[in-house]
Amino acid sequence: MHFLPQKAFALPIAALVLALSVGARGGDVPDRWWAPGEGRVLPAALDYDNDHGTLRTLTVGGPLKTAGHPFFEPLGKDGRACVTCHQPSDAMSLSVKSARRQWDRTDGKDPLFAAYDGSNCPTLPQDRRESHSLLLDRGLIRVERPWPTKSFNGNPVTPDFTIEVVRDPNGCNSGPAYGPAAGKISVYRRPRPVANMKYLLAVGFPYDPKQGYALPLDPDDGKPQSGNLMADNRAGNLRIQMEDAAATHLQMLKALTPAQRKTLQDFELRVYSAMQTSKAGGALDSMGARGGPVRLRDSQPGALGSIGEPVWSEFKAWESIPKDEAAKLTPEQLAHRQSIARGAKVFREKMFLITDTAGINSRIGFGNPVRNSCVFCHNMSQMGNDVAPGQVDLGTTTLPFADPWDDLPLFKVTCTGRPHPHYGKVIYTYDPGFALTSGKCADVGKITLQSMRGLSARAPYFSNGLAKDLRGVVDYYERRYSIGYTEQEKQDLVNLMSAL
Amino acid sequence: MKRLTLLAALCAATSAQAAQDTAGLVRFVACPVYRDTDAGRKSGCWLADDRENGKRWDVTESPYKPDWNFAVLVEGRPSANAAQPCGAPALDPVRTSRLDIPCTRHMIPAEGFPGRRYTLPRRNIAPLSVARAVPPGPYAERVFPVYFEFDKDFLVYQYDDWLIDNAVTWIKAAKPKKLIVTGFAATAPETVSGVTIAERPEAAQERAETIAETMRRLVPGTAVETKWEVAAQPTDEPEADGLPWQSQRRAEIRAVF
Ligand code: HEC
Ligand code: HEC
Repeated sequence: MHFLPQKAFALPIAALVLALSVGARGGDVPDRWWAPGEGRVLPAALDYDNDHGTLRTLTVGGPLKTAGHPFFEPLGKDGRACVTCHQPSDAMSLSVKSARRQWDRTDGKDPLFAAYDGSNCPTLPQDRRESHSLLLDRGLIRVERPWPTKSFNGNPVTPDFTIEVVRDPNGCNSGPAYGPAAGKISVYRRPRPVANMKYLLAVGFPYDPKQGYALPLDPDDGKPQSGNLMADNRAGNLRIQMEDAAATHLQMLKALTPAQRKTLQDFELRVYSAMQTSKAGGALDSMGARGGPVRLRDSQPGALGSIGEPVWSEFKAWESIPKDEAAKLTPEQLAHRQSIARGAKVFREKMFLITDTAGINSRIGFGNPVRNSCVFCHNMSQMGNDVAPGQVDLGTTTLPFADPWDDLPLFKVTCTGRPHPHYGKVIYTYDPGFALTSGKCADVGKITLQSMRGLSARAPYFSNGLAKDLRGVVDYYERRYSIGYTEQEKQDLVNLMSAL
Repeated sequence: MKRLTLLAALCAATSAQAAQDTAGLVRFVACPVYRDTDAGRKSGCWLADDRENGKRWDVTESPYKPDWNFAVLVEGRPSANAAQPCGAPALDPVRTSRLDIPCTRHMIPAEGFPGRRYTLPRRNIAPLSVARAVPPGPYAERVFPVYFEFDKDFLVYQYDDWLIDNAVTWIKAAKPKKLIVTGFAATAPETVSGVTIAERPEAAQERAETIAETMRRLVPGTAVETKWEVAAQPTDEPEADGLPWQSQRRAEIRAVF
């Protein structure tokens, strides 16, 4: 704890709260929470500590003055900005830890907790903590989708399934104003990181092998779209995404101006974020390793690891650290580095049977089951997202694979045409995912693979926060696919993921 | 391995009789059996038993592989390669179409069989970042076939994407005035292993529309017209691998000038 600067006592209460909370490193640095409209300068490189080490966020062409910048200014009536849910300390996502800290620091008054989507439902009493439990306990934001789906990629769609609400613990899927009967569905999702975007926008091949179709063309520039934005792929490009974000999360009544859109897009393409230093292993770009965001910034996006540079070969040099180099490390650092390198190999090489997973086991032709490893789906070099559009049903949001949670709504989906290839005619799900966009029963439960960078800064994981920490991620896969990882392999995977 | 499949494909391509030569062809419906061999990624084996004669076949080399919860329509030719890495004689070329007939899933252990180490199939496409060689002219009217799984219009990974990529590369160079896409469906009922199967007539139109939309996305600005035909007849185009049933389930992209 450091001394308050003298003049802080003269500041109003709100500013005092701000001044009271010190940065992760201590000292008089600004708080790690970026509040809308503060007008800070975003440095070209910005470091924040977390439980596993230090995350670094680079802004190409920085430093950037955020005063007046649409990503940082409150644009709507709730006083929120994009940065509210996309925080530099959290790899441009939002950790549940930061959400809780903000609740405690502001007694629940931070615009993050706005009724529209920062509470379980706007109909609940907003001053109670339990009305915001999904955000505070699971890091989830309410996402409202229209129902029924009417069009996809510019073509009209008639869904081949119906949706009923089995239970609605929060009130946002029933009553006169909410739920399928009222023309909308509320699902709850984690903010996705707004960093390293060139990788999520990269197009490796002209086809979507999961949908068995050529990639859709961007309505703005006529080029093929990557299909890797948003859990349900409802936005095919950044323009559509930001308009959606402005109208919902920011509750902006006016549309973003062309100048604001340009500034936002330009910023989104300039931000890179990744772990720079491991608390236990030291600098992630030392002794031949190539972790950290610099390499992300400088590499060509969209490469398929299996035909080019293997995924997480960033840590190849640590597979065999020469004796004289090893002597410069503490035994703990050496062991941790070796574990990270082993984790990368486990990620690529430890095979298991992937079963009943739509997007992989159907309809693409790999067969059900198919033997492969983590890298089968997480196949893009440097990023670990999918080179092809990444809509896959891991079961994270759908029964019987998802955990039994009583605080999420549960929907009953009935396929009216062909049954779902793995679940059959009736499916119970917390979030139909991609099916809300495509209108296809075969897509129920499919969630777009995310980036795997900066994980340490943004727990919990998976679109509905199902895994509270990195070990929870590995445990989910172990349960889902009966992989048979040894304790050592699990720890190696966790250490690898903590270093990305 | 790769060379062998290539050779097999070449043989199929050069022998004009291949498609007509139905002797030795195998076609049956069965619940698939997954043999859990482990020679690395994608190395599991698929087996299927022809119940009419009690023969077990290795059907792993199909570009669209089985789902252990559903019956498959197996179509193939006994492989020239006598090796049995999956513990049964192989069909190659072979196709396994998923039918809507539920099966009890059955997985058997490797029992010492090695399975096949994965190799990139001949029909695979390069990333977009790799420039395609411009096919030499002169350019004149030409037809490009694309093949499908039974009753489906889904573009098969590492089969149709490759066929379409080749067609599109040529079309981009040749700049035809128009593309006429015709979808075909094998609608005449046939009885296989006691099961009567026929493609839905709608499959012909679905195939035409899928390929037409694909062309609109891959060669935007080119005029595309669609047609469809039922009761499809076999052809002897080489990329159907000499399997008459596969050749029926197709769409044709005709480039006209
Ligand atoms: C209230 C919190 C919140 C605010 C404010 C917010 N977002 Fe988001 N953002 C999210 C959530 C939640 C998702 C994931 C939604 C989904 O997957 O359905 C997301 C996803 C994104 C993505 C997609 C990233 C990916 O990998 O798919 C981008 C880009 C993005 N937001 C940009 C913005 C911009 C630009 C703004 C301001 C105009 C903004 N966000 C404001 C919560 C927020
Ligand atoms: C069958 C395809 C597939 C395989 C195999 C696979 N994943 Fe995933 N992974 C996904 C999908 C789909 C998601 C998104 C699911 C969600 O968010 O609900 C995901 C999400 C993740 C995330 C969450 C990222 C975030 O931002 O929350 C991590 C971490 C992860 N996977 C690690 C792994 C590891 C480790 C393995 C190997 C044990 C693995 N994955 C194997 C498909 C796969």
